[in-house]
Amino acid sequence: MSFLNKDKNQAYFYVAPAVILVGLICIYPIVRTLVMSFTDNDGLNPANFIGFKNYIRLFLDPNYITPIYNTVIWTVFATIFPVAIGFLFAYSMQFLPRSNYFQILVYLPATVSAAAAGVLFGFILDKSGLINQILSFIGYDHLVRDWLFRAPENTYSMIGAYTWQSTGINMMIFIVGLQGMPKEQLEAAKIDGAKGLTLVFKIVIPMIMPYFVIASLLALINSFRVFDQVWVMTQGGPGRYSETLAVTMYREGFVLFDLGYAASVAVLISLVGLVFSYFYLRSVLTKEDVGS
Amino acid sequence: MNYKTIERIKVITGLSAMAVIVMAWLYPVFFLLVNANKTASQYAKGDKTEIIWGTSIIDNAITAWNKGIGDGVLNSLLYGFAGSALAVFFAFVAAYGIVRLKIKNGLIWFLIIYSGTVFPFQMYLLPLFEAYVAVGIYNTKIGLILVYVGLCIPFATFVLRGFFLTVPWEIQEAAKIEGATNFQILHKIMLPMAKAPLLLVFLIQFTWIWNDLLFGMVLSRSVGVRPITTVLAGMKDLYASLDGPTILTATLMASIPTLLIFLLLQKHFIRGLTLGSMNAGKG
Repeated sequence: MSFLNKDKNQAYFYVAPAVILVGLICIYPIVRTLVMSFTDNDGLNPANFIGFKNYIRLFLDPNYITPIYNTVIWTVFATIFPVAIGFLFAYSMQFLPRSNYFQILVYLPATVSAAAAGVLFGFILDKSGLINQILSFIGYDHLVRDWLFRAPENTYSMIGAYTWQSTGINMMIFIVGLQGMPKEQLEAAKIDGAKGLTLVFKIVIPMIMPYFVIASLLALINSFRVFDQVWVMTQGGPGRYSETLAVTMYREGFVLFDLGYAASVAVLISLVGLVFSYFYLRSVLTKEDVGS
Repeated sequence: MNYKTIERIKVITGLSAMAVIVMAWLYPVFFLLVNANKTASQYAKGDKTEIIWGTSIIDNAITAWNKGIGDGVLNSLLYGFAGSALAVFFAFVAAYGIVRLKIKNGLIWFLIIYSGTVFPFQMYLLPLFEAYVAVGIYNTKIGLILVYVGLCIPFATFVLRGFFLTVPWEIQEAAKIEGATNFQILHKIMLPMAKAPLLLVFLIQFTWIWNDLLFGMVLSRSVGVRPITTVLAGMKDLYASLDGPTILTATLMASIPTLLIFLLLQKHFIRGLTLGSMNAGKG
């Protein structure tokens, strides 16, 4: 019997193209970036191995406190707002007939690119833009400002735009969770006199806790590596006041050509991201009905 | 008032409140539509909330199309179709090999492919740029198609592996007894059954490619190659002469394809995206 007569051996020819492409586009770069992060590669001169110098620099250089600080702000608020607002939408939709139409409308912003939303919010937050016009109209002239050119207003404004785009996905996760909630338990609690906020905090939220975990981890993963919105709206500026780590990585690598240093920023983003991803995958795999 | 009337009033109040909230939620879209339909001076001087009935949006669309959006749309359509279709093809074949032909250590092969969804894209950028320049495919359409194919295979394999796990084994065994080759089984039996998941994965990946900014920025430079998002993001800097309404119209044009795909598929799509957003890297 020749090698190819067996299905198991033929299978290699079916799997090979995908493995080779993923190997070239995904796996090789990961390994190469890791190696690069221990060198002083500048794209011109031969690279030298410099150990952990890039990483030490990342933590000691005062210039990089701002991006690290901004990334923490992003991770906290771009998780809390979309998850909380997503839950509020999902929970209130429960009591409405034909709420699927509302769901589609709330989800709509998530379907456009972050670049398009970023450009749109650039106009809304512009000095002569919509927000300022509304503020003066209702008599809050002292709040009128250049939202994207002042720190920390720019970071919070961008988190607002990001929340607009990423609330929909959280709402959908919670709708799946609420639909799967055992109704008897809820009815029993209602008969016992639980209502309003007590019902939400004591009964509903504990019951759909796994969905809160999944939504929050997904939000953490995505907000920690935020790039598109920041790049389109402020490019991390003015100066580097609104820079996040993903923007730092891009700037160091493709503007300043400090490749070794950029690689170390990428590795740092990955390490934190992998921790979130580990918990995320663990929660999703034990709760397969989300999205599968 | 009886119980039924009270219930009805409650529902109507709830629906109205939700309608108001959703309208406020979509106000940025209203702002976009209204201001895309203005001339430069109407926008600069006027009230941003004022509706002006006219056809300025057509002139704006023509200007935007000629100032790079046209190239961007055509490029992104090419990348979306070719990148997504090829990725789905390779993933379909690979998932078949892993599940149906029972490759040795199938789970390990699957995890090797799936590992492409775990790391943030920042890990890919520098080596891809370096390698693309070295090989001579930096700033080429082939280069961008290649990167999108590679990036889309892992998630597609994940979904299609799930599909193959659900297909009954009797079908395959019967075809074997009839003398069908493995490729014939894939082509004649599995492919027709897999139409729905294949289309869904194709559209999810098309949407992801269409919305990607990062790889377009890193791997291309000229207008003839850049995808739509990259053109759009560069509009303010590149063409300082472009006015607000034209850029807003361009934003609208860049959003229509993925919006249509979403409205066509709605809930199927959302469920797919919930999982896909892990590697869709939209953050």
